[in-house]
Amino acid sequence: MAKVYNWQIGRDMEYPYEGVRPKKQFGMVMDLNKCIACQTCTVACKTTWTPGRGQEYMFWNNVETKPYGYYPLGWDVKILDELGVQEVGGKTYQGKTLFEAAREGEPVLGFLPNDLDYAHPNVGEDDSAGLMGQGAYLTGPHTQWMYYLPRICNHCTYPACLGSCPRQSIYKRPEDGIVLLDQARCRGYRECVKGCPYKKTFFNPMTRVSEKCIGCYPAVESGRQTQCTITCIGKIRLQGYIGTPTTAREDNPLDYIVHGAKIAKPLYPQFGLEPNVYYVPPVHVPPAFLVQMFGHGVPEAIAAYRKAADDKKLLGALLLFGSTPQIIHRYKVEGDRAIGYDEGGRELVRVPLREPIQVRAAYDGKYEAYRTNIT
Amino acid sequence: MNRHRLAPLLALAALGIATAAPAQNGLRAVKTGAGLQELLQVDAPAWRSAPVTTVAMLPQSIIAPRVNKVGVSKLTVRAVHNQEWIAFHIEWPDPTRSDRIVVDNFGDQVAVELPVKPGKDAPPSPMMGNPGGRVTILQWRAAFQRDLDHGEPKVRDLYPFAHTDVYPDQVLRATDVRPYLGAIGLDNPISHPNRTPVLDQMAEGWGTMTVKPVQRAEGRGSWSRGRWQVVIAYPLAAGGDSDPRLKPGSETVAAFAVWEGEAREVGSRKAWSNWIPLRIE
Repeated sequence: MAKVYNWQIGRDMEYPYEGVRPKKQFGMVMDLNKCIACQTCTVACKTTWTPGRGQEYMFWNNVETKPYGYYPLGWDVKILDELGVQEVGGKTYQGKTLFEAAREGEPVLGFLPNDLDYAHPNVGEDDSAGLMGQGAYLTGPHTQWMYYLPRICNHCTYPACLGSCPRQSIYKRPEDGIVLLDQARCRGYRECVKGCPYKKTFFNPMTRVSEKCIGCYPAVESGRQTQCTITCIGKIRLQGYIGTPTTAREDNPLDYIVHGAKIAKPLYPQFGLEPNVYYVPPVHVPPAFLVQMFGHGVPEAIAAYRKAADDKKLLGALLLFGSTPQIIHRYKVEGDRAIGYDEGGRELVRVPLREPIQVRAAYDGKYEAYRTNIT
Repeated sequence: MNRHRLAPLLALAALGIATAAPAQNGLRAVKTGAGLQELLQVDAPAWRSAPVTTVAMLPQSIIAPRVNKVGVSKLTVRAVHNQEWIAFHIEWPDPTRSDRIVVDNFGDQVAVELPVKPGKDAPPSPMMGNPGGRVTILQWRAAFQRDLDHGEPKVRDLYPFAHTDVYPDQVLRATDVRPYLGAIGLDNPISHPNRTPVLDQMAEGWGTMTVKPVQRAEGRGSWSRGRWQVVIAYPLAAGGDSDPRLKPGSETVAAFAVWEGEAREVGSRKAWSNWIPLRIE
């Protein structure tokens, strides 16, 4: 295997191919504090890309409840169990990645889900971590907790699906880093389904080949954000391009959130795939759980997120979420406005850092009515 | 991104596989008066008189993903020709008939490999050929056989309680629906309905398997009482540059591969044989 550098784990690691970074890298940030699991993203993706025969069970985008929700069943706890106890928490990951833990004769440590594991995409919905005791009261982090985890393909820098495919049917586009599965070349071996730890490649039993999230590339190519992003009613997502710590631009909202303010973290970075979807961790969840899921720096990320109102640059970037269907390449904060620009520097959107508030009198003399909501 | 292929190639060379002269007792394709349709019957009388060769099957342990043990350790092979077609009759015990394909179900398969340039001396690598050493691989699939015998499965055949309100192909014109058909919309030969259960393919090394644009192979398989019997037939008449030239009175080599679906054998997770001399009488 070749040696590649994975900045998320702070060290070189083994990968079946030489490391070549794309010119731009598709990326997404999701604020887990804002997701309500309405599944609008899931339905938007479903109706756009997977309404066909053999795709009935497929959700390229899904939202599951953590800690007990999974799609497919047990996807993360199974691979964590296979990987075994590893040392996580430091900036440099000391444990083994899935490539380094691969069994003899295999490119990556993985497992093939059972067919029935996909049968209950909303299993564990709203189940909390445990039962509330008599007389319990609210503390932070919560004693019992749950949160929603929306998931798409991570369009990883080092995709395990790509590394697993013996036919090179999966490729990472040099222009935007989107990982695609060639529908004409695939022969349905399901090595990618086995290899992807996030289980975001799917086998279609009607076409007998595998399929995956395409990062809405026809939209992205024309400067538009993905369907799951632009339909999100909670405005929890921002899709654009993400740099590395060395190439990050302060005026790229994704880069500022991930590399500047460092409030968003990758999903299971210890797997070693360098996933390119980043999550703002939920503030009410015990850090030990979050560190296992999002790697080191979670407590600091939560502290910085709590103070976002004091960091106008961060606040501006966060308020651009859901503000425009176009991809925001650059932004700046001017006065009390965050302004987003497209790749050509044209202004796309201007959002206020604070919603204007108007306070009205509780009693309206003209209509001789009392108001219950005066702001 | 270049795959690190050197190590497996060296391993193959160390085993002496690519360069070794075929050592096993040969296959004889004896002449028969039976027509193609008769030969496609796995229990046709013509097969009873054909000489039997036992082919030892080895785990594919060279390139990842590998297997350490195989589901099928030997094949019983017969070969005949009728001046127009050469046909192989391949038989192996398999207690489980695997021809239903869903995410965790894999199909039984068997394949005959022939070098495109005939001759028993210095053939290409038996493991799917090598760059410049092109091979033809005729692969029979149990799932294709089931499609032909019983019709292609519908979603409800695989998942009786599946529910869908509407499919794109029910509301769109044929010209608009192709993007919604995935690999079928791109005529992927693995997905596309086939006229025969045998894929006529070529390869020049690992990961290069390509289904030929013109399909010339015929075949039929039958599972009964824990045993697969499969016939794979190929025309003797000259085809294109990627088709093997097989002539009565000539000698070449053949190799075999078999996949036990129940053991989740697929792709390179398979049992393979070295080249075996093949004399077309």
